[in-house]
Amino acid sequence: MAKAFKYGLKGITGYLEPAERELLRSLIDDVISMLEPAESASEDPLTALIGLDMNVQEPSDRALRRLLPNVTRNDDAAALEFRQLTERSLRENKIGALRAAALGLDTNEVVLSPADARHWSQALNDVRLVLAERLDIRDDADAEHVHTMQDWSQAEDVESYLALVYNFTTWLQESLVQAMLQSMEQRG
Amino acid sequence: MTLSVALGPDTQESTQTGTVTSTDALTAPDIPWNLVIWNDPVNLMSYVSYVFQSYFGYSEPKANKLMMEVHKKGRSIVAHGSKEQVEQHAVAMHGFGLWATVEKATGGGKDGGSGKGKGKRG
Repeated sequence: MAKAFKYGLKGITGYLEPAERELLRSLIDDVISMLEPAESASEDPLTALIGLDMNVQEPSDRALRRLLPNVTRNDDAAALEFRQLTERSLRENKIGALRAAALGLDTNEVVLSPADARHWSQALNDVRLVLAERLDIRDDADAEHVHTMQDWSQAEDVESYLALVYNFTTWLQESLVQAMLQSMEQRG
Repeated sequence: MTLSVALGPDTQESTQTGTVTSTDALTAPDIPWNLVIWNDPVNLMSYVSYVFQSYFGYSEPKANKLMMEVHKKGRSIVAHGSKEQVEQHAVAMHGFGLWATVEKATGGGKDGGSGKGKGKRG
């Protein structure tokens, strides 16, 4: 079983079994493939340089919309304009954090620098946001319900399996963030 | 936020150490926009507090207070500023996975009271 992250002399450390690392790697890969823009081959070099992309539209997939939300609530035109200016770099930023986290999954012992820890916490958060959409978690009651699934022997269908995976990533992120908060306190 | 400074051999004498120019001066300080964080059932309370502390540099009590406001009231105004400033914050929040939007401060642009200290909550 994985051990909770903790903050100590070596920085933030944790322990993951090979199967858990494999699971996290595939979850991270899934989110990366969602975030990778559809067409990147035939594009205007200027577009690539400044990140402005007039073809960008609000995502139709709920999970993707949660990862890349509108910046305004009641003004779709303004939200779209802002999206065209910023969505590309937001995707790249998220993919960067996810890739950095995946790089740390090569060994059972996980030792994180402050920058690694930030990438891991962002990556785990994005993974959880996507899983939560797949599990249809809309409010705190839904989250409570999913949280009751803690026993792997209960995994009998896709939904219960997803719920267990969600709970595992939640536990892992919580322990990581606690260690990060502790390290911030110590460093002042 | 790592600061990488790559100095070539020919730059010793031209490194600038004295002046820090701020672009803040170029934006009108009295046009109030709000950065709003919305509640969702997924983001951990500890993580939201961590983001407020690490990104905005808020103290732990202030970060926790804003986080609880998001949790209990469904939303909280966590920063004010020019439109450009709060939009930049919103993108950063989206990078962390928080659900952030920007909005014009209510009460009209002239009021200005909502930008500082005593602004109404919720």
